[in-house]
Amino acid sequence: MVKNITIFTTNTCGYCQMVKTYLKAKGMGFDEVNLDHEPHRRSEAHRLSGALTVPVTVVTKTDDSQEIIVGYNLAKLAPAVN
Amino acid sequence: MSKDDTPKHELVIVGAGPAALSAAIYTTREDIETVLYERGVIGGLAAVTDIIDNYPGFSKGVTGLELADSLRNQAERFGAKIELGEVKSIINGGEYKRLVTDSGDVLARSVLIATGSDYMRTGIPGEEKFYARGVHFCATCDGAFYRDKKLVVIGGGNSAIQESIFLTRFASHIDILVRSKLKASEVLIKELQRFIDSGKITLQIGITPKEIVGDANGVTKVVGVNKDSKDQDFICDGVFVFIGLKPNTAFLANTKVELDARGFVITNQDFETAVPGVFAAGDVRSGATMQIASASGEGATAALRIREYLEGRTREVKNNLSAAA
Repeated sequence: MVKNITIFTTNTCGYCQMVKTYLKAKGMGFDEVNLDHEPHRRSEAHRLSGALTVPVTVVTKTDDSQEIIVGYNLAKLAPAVN
Repeated sequence: MSKDDTPKHELVIVGAGPAALSAAIYTTREDIETVLYERGVIGGLAAVTDIIDNYPGFSKGVTGLELADSLRNQAERFGAKIELGEVKSIINGGEYKRLVTDSGDVLARSVLIATGSDYMRTGIPGEEKFYARGVHFCATCDGAFYRDKKLVVIGGGNSAIQESIFLTRFASHIDILVRSKLKASEVLIKELQRFIDSGKITLQIGITPKEIVGDANGVTKVVGVNKDSKDQDFICDGVFVFIGLKPNTAFLANTKVELDARGFVITNQDFETAVPGVFAAGDVRSGATMQIASASGEGATAALRIREYLEGRTREVKNNLSAAA
């Protein structure tokens, strides 16, 4: 079960919009960390994903385990949030 | 006899970029039930482009995301339905084509292939190894990670120059590696000159990238080969690659849709492929000009041809029924 979802995004990132569109279509809420507004959190996104890219989606389950999805990857995102 | 419960549609459009969404605007306004399947970004490559300056009707330019949103909203306003998923194959079944998707099969009386294209890879050592850890293909997604860093951009076409200009808002300096000569539009080259003059961008003409080198922390340099066949190092923290486009047609490999030598879909002048009822438009089509405005135009024209095709098929079925009665 999903406890919460956090997405690291930027203003200009089309793939970030797609992650948000997908979650909204599923009726799922999420927190957004916009790295253009909070540039000091870039290193946090990097540390979590190991990648210098957005979107980074952090799915926290009810047992507090986390699944990190890098990019807009439906094959990984869909099972992680369902 | 068991009933086939496979969902049936009048038109399935594979893709949701400018060609696909323009076609959907036309078909839905003609009351043709239309479903689009998109595995990537709605708006296609246009949606991940910073500013689009040559799309008619926007005197001050428009961001790729804004254009994609507008096209999508317009298509949905008339009833187009967008599914987020992937079409894996098309099987010609006569009246109905069977589309194999990642959420099950669907049947369609007509199909429009508008899957567009994607950025090509260089294939040089290091590119795969450092993917998303220093090697990138989307400036609008990943540029923000390179504030005050040194970058290399590989490519000399419109995308390479436009994305380099976008990246100047983050990077301290950019080397653009161009193998032969600049192929960007005159307007972009003029704009580029401003950044060359300010020292923000250096054009490196006659450099063929050979290897992307790095360590545990990411990319450290790009090694290129210059005109004298000597290795030349370009120290950097990241690399963005824009060397041309390849069509998204892998899913057509085992179908009867014909492709040209580079993998683009071959159509006749009515945008119809070798399979009756299956059409193609936009960047995925052999001979396309790779312009957003052209893709939209092709989508609209294909929609009109699809309407004619569907009307013709309906007449045919009615005539056959009359003859049989």
